[in-house]
Amino acid sequence: MFPQFGAATADSLSRASTLVFRIGTDAHLYDDPDDVNIAPLLDSRFDSEKCEALKRLLALIAQGVDVCNFFPQVVKNVASQSLEVKKLAYLYLLQYAEKRPNEALLSINCFQKDLSDLNPLVRAWALRSMAGIHLHVVAPLVLAAIRKCARDPSSYVRKCAVNALSKILDLLPEENTDLEELVNIFMSDHSLGVVGASAVAFKTVCLKNLSLISKHFRRLCESLPDIEEWGQITLIEILLRYVIARHGLVRESIMFTSNATESFHSTWGSTGLFHTFDNHNSSIENVPHDFKENSLMFKNYIEGWEECLLQHGFTNGNVGEDQYHLNYVAPASIENDDVRILLQCTLPLLWSQNSAVVLAAVGVHWIMAPNEKVQRIVKPILFLLRSFPDSKYVVLCNIQVFAKVLPSLFAPYYEDFFVHSSEIYQIRALKLEILSAIVTDASSQFILDEFQDYIKDQDRRFVADTVAAIGICAQRLPSVVDVCLEGLLGLASQESSTSNASQKDGEACILVQAIMSIKSIIKHSPARHEKVIARLARNLDVIKEPAARALIIWIVGEYCSIGQIMPNIIPNVLKFLAWSFSSEILETKHQILNTAIKVVLSARNEDMLVFEKILNYILQLAKYDIDYDIRDRARMAEKLLSPCNAEDISRKLQNGGTAGEILENIFRGNKHPSRLPDHDFRFYLPGSLSHVVLHAAPGYDPLPKPCSLHDNLPNGIADEDATSGSLDSGSSIDESGSYNDSDPSVTSSVESDGNELASDSHDPNNPSSSSITNIDEDRKENSRCHPSESSFVYDQSSRSAAENLTTSISSDLADLMSRTALESWLDEHSGLPSATKPSESSSIRISVNDLSCTVSPKLHTLLDPTNGNGLKVEYSFLAEASKHSPFLVCIELLLSNCSNELLTAITVEDGEPNKSAASSMQALEKPESLSTTDEGSTIIPIEEITRLEPGQTIKRTLQVQFQHHLLPLKVAVFCNGRRYTAKLWPDIGYFIRPISMNGNSFVEKESELKGMFECTKRCSFEGHIEDLKHEEQKQSSLGTDKILLVSRSLASKVLSHANVFLVSIDMPVSFSDDDASGLRLRFSSEISRISKPCLISIVAEGKCSEPLNISVKVNCEETVFGLNLLNRFVAFLH
Amino acid sequence: MLQCIFLLSDSGEVMLEKQMTGHRVDRSICGWFWDYVISQGGDSTKILPVIASPTHYIFQIFREGITFLACTQVEMPPLMGIEFLCRVADVLTGYLGGLNEDLIKDNFIIVYELLDEMMDNGFPLTTVPNILREMIAPPNIVSKVLSVVTGKSSNVSNILPDATASPVPWRKSDLKSSSNEVYVDLIEELDAILSREGVLVKCEVYGEVHVNSHLPGFPDLTLSFANPSILNDVRFHPCVRFRPWEGEQILSFVPPDGEFKLASYRVKKLKNIPIYVKPQLTSSSGHCRVNVLVGIRNDPGKVIENIRVQFQLPSCVESVDVSSNHGTVNVLADKTCFWSIGRIPKDKSPSLSGNLVLELGLDRLPVFPVFRVGFKIVGVALSGLQINKLEIKNMPARLYKGFRAITKAGEYEVRS
Repeated sequence: MFPQFGAATADSLSRASTLVFRIGTDAHLYDDPDDVNIAPLLDSRFDSEKCEALKRLLALIAQGVDVCNFFPQVVKNVASQSLEVKKLAYLYLLQYAEKRPNEALLSINCFQKDLSDLNPLVRAWALRSMAGIHLHVVAPLVLAAIRKCARDPSSYVRKCAVNALSKILDLLPEENTDLEELVNIFMSDHSLGVVGASAVAFKTVCLKNLSLISKHFRRLCESLPDIEEWGQITLIEILLRYVIARHGLVRESIMFTSNATESFHSTWGSTGLFHTFDNHNSSIENVPHDFKENSLMFKNYIEGWEECLLQHGFTNGNVGEDQYHLNYVAPASIENDDVRILLQCTLPLLWSQNSAVVLAAVGVHWIMAPNEKVQRIVKPILFLLRSFPDSKYVVLCNIQVFAKVLPSLFAPYYEDFFVHSSEIYQIRALKLEILSAIVTDASSQFILDEFQDYIKDQDRRFVADTVAAIGICAQRLPSVVDVCLEGLLGLASQESSTSNASQKDGEACILVQAIMSIKSIIKHSPARHEKVIARLARNLDVIKEPAARALIIWIVGEYCSIGQIMPNIIPNVLKFLAWSFSSEILETKHQILNTAIKVVLSARNEDMLVFEKILNYILQLAKYDIDYDIRDRARMAEKLLSPCNAEDISRKLQNGGTAGEILENIFRGNKHPSRLPDHDFRFYLPGSLSHVVLHAAPGYDPLPKPCSLHDNLPNGIADEDATSGSLDSGSSIDESGSYNDSDPSVTSSVESDGNELASDSHDPNNPSSSSITNIDEDRKENSRCHPSESSFVYDQSSRSAAENLTTSISSDLADLMSRTALESWLDEHSGLPSATKPSESSSIRISVNDLSCTVSPKLHTLLDPTNGNGLKVEYSFLAEASKHSPFLVCIELLLSNCSNELLTAITVEDGEPNKSAASSMQALEKPESLSTTDEGSTIIPIEEITRLEPGQTIKRTLQVQFQHHLLPLKVAVFCNGRRYTAKLWPDIGYFIRPISMNGNSFVEKESELKGMFECTKRCSFEGHIEDLKHEEQKQSSLGTDKILLVSRSLASKVLSHANVFLVSIDMPVSFSDDDASGLRLRFSSEISRISKPCLISIVAEGKCSEPLNISVKVNCEETVFGLNLLNRFVAFLH
Repeated sequence: MLQCIFLLSDSGEVMLEKQMTGHRVDRSICGWFWDYVISQGGDSTKILPVIASPTHYIFQIFREGITFLACTQVEMPPLMGIEFLCRVADVLTGYLGGLNEDLIKDNFIIVYELLDEMMDNGFPLTTVPNILREMIAPPNIVSKVLSVVTGKSSNVSNILPDATASPVPWRKSDLKSSSNEVYVDLIEELDAILSREGVLVKCEVYGEVHVNSHLPGFPDLTLSFANPSILNDVRFHPCVRFRPWEGEQILSFVPPDGEFKLASYRVKKLKNIPIYVKPQLTSSSGHCRVNVLVGIRNDPGKVIENIRVQFQLPSCVESVDVSSNHGTVNVLADKTCFWSIGRIPKDKSPSLSGNLVLELGLDRLPVFPVFRVGFKIVGVALSGLQINKLEIKNMPARLYKGFRAITKAGEYEVRS
């Protein structure tokens, strides 16, 4: 009768029963872990007492108490004979080993003894714990132990040995080849458990060295279904990467067909997948759209999103289509043995019980399977939704991309995306998006019926999304347009009648969304829907929501001259608007004003007089409005209209008079063609974390370049003898850059050339760039240099003067310098106090100027002239720190007018002034003490630019607080009263600020930030080759110091992309003029937000005249930030 | 690579932390997470499984009041993290015979030992329950009594289970079972959506085949269905061989000892639902009449038990007054209405009726609740799936085989 009561009793009963059950468990230890003195227990002779003590310690650890002071006593117990004591001691040890390195070393002997124990379990535990200690000193010993265990008879021990490989990877960066060799041994192990684990080791140790796979490939594929599930996930990924690197993409796959335009229609038409596209006018537009999308996706898979942008000069998505033609060499065919085997062996995994395995297998088939076979992935991935509810969100994120690229794939399964009441909002929103992407004529009836049900849902946010989804459906399927419009109109008028209730916000949101949807639908053929417009206009007297009213008025104005009905109702509507003008809010007033002008401009002669009168009335009201913007607009309109009466306007329009033309252009100018709602241009590999969080997570690696792995191996199944040979050749491939693309570096160098001019007009008052000054000078003392503060001041004042000198004398001095440099290497102690020698300082100046020419912040486009009606906005990051707050980043905006007309009232503001949930979350993330900026604004707006003449360019500095160092910020650019939204992409290189330090303190700091705070990445650098050529042409007779040039181009590259301080340049100790190996540049900076140091060092290897192999290392306490920064560095250096 | 696993109680307290790699994660991340949960409305069941915090990526699942939380800083398949947490939850449930705050605290040593075996350096090591049970003994009455009496206990095994090296890691090699028995259960969940018009929009069954076997040695089992063609999608336990299924649609496997989930499947496009729920809401002048009728639509041939209807009243409802002619009705503080009916009586059809008073100024109800229905039918698999036969090779003759079927309501929703 009383379930609550029942529940309560049941609860207390269960509590009582657990009390009984608690006897004999460790409950008392967890409840009062320190009610006895632990120390004597640890030294007890009895194992049971030791056990109890250790359990108490673990209980304290579980509760978050730091008990590392017991470390020495616990370490002794590792030697215990009792396995339980051992195990507990290990658990404790691993928790604190890194904190107490010295004491941890005491245990090493025990571990080594245990490694030769007869019990495999003891051996395995010893190895696991020893590797887990994670100390530099121990790492070589662990490596030796792994070698030993690699031959262990027990496969469990071997498996633990494989896992240990990735544990010591970051401790032994220089032993990489050793580790690779071990991975190779483990991969050929006959136990499948070991092979599965070795896949993970391969991924962490040597993912780039795919050639290692080639001789194992067949065997790995065939054993794939029998390997344990967790190994499968990683192995699938590796095999996919290998096949792509070796054979390239499959010609018949979606990815590839999308790139071959000529075969595009025929292939897709014949497969019957795209039958819906042939039917309708509007859907023909969809073909290139979708085509664009999946080739873009494909490109993203291969190159990573950032690089993709870099290459194509991303400008608001208007990427020329010709750039999509990837001229990758000969794609593989599905007939290819390796491809076929991979697909065949991953097929049964689609039935796996492990959802991650299923998704990994789905990814392989999505990328590699021939077009007509992709269907196989659909049922397994849909089944995941039901059979594994925890993964629903992640799976839907992936389906969303699949469905957008290939809607026909999921079209018949629309039922699976129907929303349940128990699901959370994010899942529902994803389902809606998928439903509106896959809707077809056949399913439209069911889906729209379903949407109707959703309208009554309690979550009003979800209802608004549904309304938007209806709009998208109608745009995709012309056959349902009328039904949708009818429904939306009903919604608009009905909501308006009941919206005086409490939850006004939610209702208003739905109403606005409904009208937005209507607007986007009728945009395609306004003439057909004039009745709809008329009905909307009639609703004006009931709809109270200002945003909705403004939208309707805009629609009325935009289509005022279309069809038969509109001209008839316009006079009445206009009168109504004029009558209500004074009571409206600002935005609505704007629209009324605009609409009135539009009506006059397009009116026929007989109505002109009436309209003129109404317009004049509105103008009179507007001229004395409270809001200055309205007043200005009204005055401007009046000025433009005034010289002519009604007839004049029309005559002028015909004759092309200036005023009329301006009006025409302002109010009826061609709208840039709008596309389907903004889709995200970022795609990450299916099943990856980056795909779910929508930014490249640290460690995310796009697929390798197709066919980058060359056929230097005899065959896929090579004999065992080739082991060592293939290893060597493998690493050489890796080092010489297994990526055969020279494009990115070429384009970027071209860009920097182009920017040289621009940077002259900039003012790089950049402490970091000027600090380069005394590099060369200091090199006199020794090969390491320490810039001093004095030269920094000096440099700034003399900069402009020196600029003139540069070109004339740079050649001689460079020669001089190279000789002095050479001397300095030969004789280290020839040092003289540098600042006293005037001749030296002149050479300093030269180098600064050289650098300041090349140090050129990269320009990004914020607003394209085509999208901004002639206003072009570009931005670059400034090195200077904000005066207001450490959270702010300074950005220089270059606003230029590319049109023939005057642009007025330009401002840049935050794009989302009403803070959404995301930003409130952001507020949470900030530590309280640091949140000094006011939460409301993320942008300190620039002062308004009142007028911008055609051709004129104005500079402004904007201070922005990005919410995340990878995520863009929406900004709104206002110009001529119109609002353009744009995205401001952060550059992580400017989230740091330079801190000056000398070489010694750098090394000291660096040693503090070892281990997990350190990350390294290798890439090749070619920027200097261009410079070298340049230099050779200039002064062919004189020998130049190539290494100097190389270091200069490296330094300038870094300084123009990141806000860092150049600490020192270590020159290689070598007599060969061409050998740059050992060149080391050090940069220091700190994260501006939290003032934590962030150290970067770059080491080069190789010959000057060839692409250099450089390794970039970042030491930073914020590991995520450090990794992201590292990725950025590699991206622009590469 | 998972760097750390935390177990949180339903009040946000960190019960346990287990660092997995050398890259230690501070437990302040749990504080951030809990703040995030509260900012999202405080309902732990409605939190995304993958969250990007300022310092870490968090994976989380919520089971029986316990939040399993794992952190990583680098790219890894998110499903791997989530799936692993689910395995941890399953294994713990199996070990502790349930899952709640007290059980975890009482057995924290076992939880530590398990986590240590299940993951090595942030990557799953041994997750097969069968091997784990051999390595770390589950708590049971005998061991507890023993520990109380003798004062010593060890749940850590001294020898490495040989299943770690076996090609069938899920099975102990030298099993000597006294009871030769196999039970096969079909457990089905019926999903259905009835639209506001009363149309059956979607009706399908999600089912699982559970096998509970106690057999000695290495038995080789073959399970075949009479009508495998109705199965729409399938997923298998790793012990199922792929070839026989591909070729002849039979399940051939060597089972683990004890109970396990052999396969899960889905049967779509069903036409019949066992019970109907007819909600009626009519509102006028600030009041709303609710009337819900429940009855049998298609008699499944067995008794339908545990029938209950649950719905969430809109937030604009001020007060509620509902009663039923059969069963009990409860309205919770968050305006959730539970109506538990039990079995449908022979003589009358259960109905719930009542009056809702709407908020001031609201004339009619703008939004309508969704009615979620629960029930249980023992002895019937509503999908119509039938087991044909179960063959067992290399087995003694005396053997007991048992089959059972049960159908429960899954996502069974009636919109009003």
